[in-house]
Amino acid sequence: MLRTVDVSRRFGRTVALEAVNFATAAGEIHAVLGENGAGKTTLMSIIAGHLRADRGEVLLEGHGLRPGSASAAIAAGIALVHQSPLLFERFSTAENLAVGALADRRRPRDTVSKAFALAERLNFPLADRVSGSVEGFSMSARVRLEILRALSLEPKVLILDEPTALLSPGELAGFLDLLRALRSNGRSVILITHKLAEAMAVADRITVLRAGRVVASCRPAETSEAALGAAMVGQVVPPAIIAARAASSSASLLRIDDLRLALPGRPALQGISLRLNGGEIFGVAGVDGNGQTELVEVLAGHHYPTAGRIELAGVSPPGDGEIAVIPQNRDQDALILDMELWENLLLAGRLRRTLSRAGFQRRRRALDLCADLLGRFQIRAPGPRLKAAALSGGHRQRLTIARALATSPKILVAHDITRGLDVSATVAVHRLLIDFAAQGGGVLLFSTDLDEIVALCHRVAVIARGRLVEVAPGDRYPERLGLLMAGAGS
Amino acid sequence: MALAKPCAAILLAMVLVATALAALGVSPGAVFGALLNGAFGSWLALSDSIVKAMPLIFTGLAVSVAFTGALWNIGAEGQLLMGAMAACAIGIKLADWPAPLAIALTLAAGSAAGAIWSGACGWLKVRHGVNEVISTIMLNYVAIEAVSWAVHGPLMEPTRALPVSAPIAAAARFHHYWPPSQLNGGLLLAVVCAIACQAWIFHTSSGFELRATGKNARASAFFRIPVARVTMLAMTASGALAGMAGAVQVCAITNRLYEQFSPGWGYEAIAVALVARLNPLAVLVTALFFGALDNGSQAVQRVLGISPVLAQVVQAIVIFLLLAFDTGVFWKPPAAVSRAMEPTADA
Repeated sequence: MLRTVDVSRRFGRTVALEAVNFATAAGEIHAVLGENGAGKTTLMSIIAGHLRADRGEVLLEGHGLRPGSASAAIAAGIALVHQSPLLFERFSTAENLAVGALADRRRPRDTVSKAFALAERLNFPLADRVSGSVEGFSMSARVRLEILRALSLEPKVLILDEPTALLSPGELAGFLDLLRALRSNGRSVILITHKLAEAMAVADRITVLRAGRVVASCRPAETSEAALGAAMVGQVVPPAIIAARAASSSASLLRIDDLRLALPGRPALQGISLRLNGGEIFGVAGVDGNGQTELVEVLAGHHYPTAGRIELAGVSPPGDGEIAVIPQNRDQDALILDMELWENLLLAGRLRRTLSRAGFQRRRRALDLCADLLGRFQIRAPGPRLKAAALSGGHRQRLTIARALATSPKILVAHDITRGLDVSATVAVHRLLIDFAAQGGGVLLFSTDLDEIVALCHRVAVIARGRLVEVAPGDRYPERLGLLMAGAGS
Repeated sequence: MALAKPCAAILLAMVLVATALAALGVSPGAVFGALLNGAFGSWLALSDSIVKAMPLIFTGLAVSVAFTGALWNIGAEGQLLMGAMAACAIGIKLADWPAPLAIALTLAAGSAAGAIWSGACGWLKVRHGVNEVISTIMLNYVAIEAVSWAVHGPLMEPTRALPVSAPIAAAARFHHYWPPSQLNGGLLLAVVCAIACQAWIFHTSSGFELRATGKNARASAFFRIPVARVTMLAMTASGALAGMAGAVQVCAITNRLYEQFSPGWGYEAIAVALVARLNPLAVLVTALFFGALDNGSQAVQRVLGISPVLAQVVQAIVIFLLLAFDTGVFWKPPAAVSRAMEPTADA
């Protein structure tokens, strides 16, 4: 149905794609696997007309598509759901759907009502339909809306660029069913992912990209996760994470008692209590929008709790800078991409203070510290004067962790810090957390990725509707956690 | 590299203007010759260009400071007028004061008035979420009317024949070092302010907070940079600089207040600041460039009879070109493409 013929593309001296032949049939779910930078997104951008190939062409049902024309691709029936949702922030759900219709010259009213009907049929919860803008939506609500917008165009080929990174297990099962339903209507679905298990579970065909080339293309039955992993990475699969299971039994480092937070119009936190020991990694699983962002913000000192108490090493409230926080939204909250690396270090209040004297910055020392951190955390950058935007995702995340650890905190709070990172970058990030815990620090890890939580954490809790429930060791498998995340066990 | 775009914009603007002039049957060579000669051709021409740049330095710094914090202060014009008015009101009354003190007091009054005029917009933004673009623009009109009222009312000169103020006391005036050139101590003050702004913005913690807030207010707030306080500080400092522009103009050049006191220094300042890429030291250079352009274009009118609006045309084209360069009209790929490029740079 859809075919690319010898598609090549370079960016400067970087070869993004080299003579890629990729074909997908009608009624097929085709998973495209590859590490960050393998060329998955570039290939899909070329298919969707956002990018022009240097050589080669894209054929849909035998007809060549006009290269570099997104509107031609949409008209031909190719819809792309972006990795990070591209929504109109000031528009409501309905308005965002209507914009999709305009792009394809359909009648907005019909499209919107059809989309809502579709959402109903697929059991897609949509927060606020007509009133209210998208601004306040959680990540998963945004992803859902973006998928719905693509589906409302009734595409022949639906391309999903890592849509599952933000969905909970409960949502995931439904989502995979949805993919199967789409296939049975004779569409093809292209699913970009770097989760092997997901590809194995749902795909009819799997293509693996590595460094801009197709290195494998096969049916799931003909292969194994190990073989696919090896094809992706091009070497031995990185070793699985080994958590330092021996939790120290020192007295609770962090004690949170009955923490409550009421935000305008809603109680965000409804009595959170937890104990965190030194040397421990405490995992908090939960679907986005159940209070984890608010809890992280309270711990960061961004909100004052309405009630309750936070005590760190016997001191309440905790001393300034004792808790280092890595927020969820790396590029918007954790870093200022348009500033240099050393300047980004200064966002941490503690470093801002130690690296200044009488109100003046001690630039020399800040640059030295930054250069030192770049080396110690193996951040690939020519020097501290580089803009943060020039780093790749994995190295940006290393920088945020390096910054947090450079403040020598007692507690590290990390929110979704491996989202969108490839296998090796994820392993590197996990190792940093394990090392920090091994040196006696406490880690509070918020994540929507259950595999990560189960593999890495000594203790696990689930957050649902502003309440936190610790999970017994026997219940620590993804299916049970999924139920708890949906609010079942509480 | 940072200077490449502004320089390219200025050059390209010159080329476009030259083409337009040639198409209109005027020799571009003659125009630019007269322009250069009028701006830099003699000691007096040069000093006049510098004097014309003086208010642009202060207002250019005012705009740079605010824009660095992503605070779009379009009200330098009104803040300048309020500064001039306050300086005039005080300066008239200081006849018996020693000169340095009288000047200091007059300038302080001017910058305080500017600071209040723009600080009010800062407060409205922080406290009530009022967009500063709108509030600062609106206050420009209020300031224009206030000046008009003052020179017809409380500040009107004693004979009450003309709508101008009485001259300020001699003690409050800047000395002209080398008459007939109008070079004066205000210029030194402008340079000092530029250096101080540079040090503040790029070398202090407070300046870092301002830049961080301007580049990403969300991240800044997350890391507990006091965004509201930073906003107030930047708006106040910006207004103080613009008010200073008015006060210095009164103390050094006009000695009086009158209607249409400013030919639009507060608006031209936006061009000055943008071409300088909001860099305070670069403001010194761009202010001189625009001051020379104003000065030279008057010479062009005297010699060739071409309207001095020419200077404004050049300014406008420079700004358009700069914006075009920045938004990638000419060579940068559109946003969707550069986003798609991002992951390929990954490890």
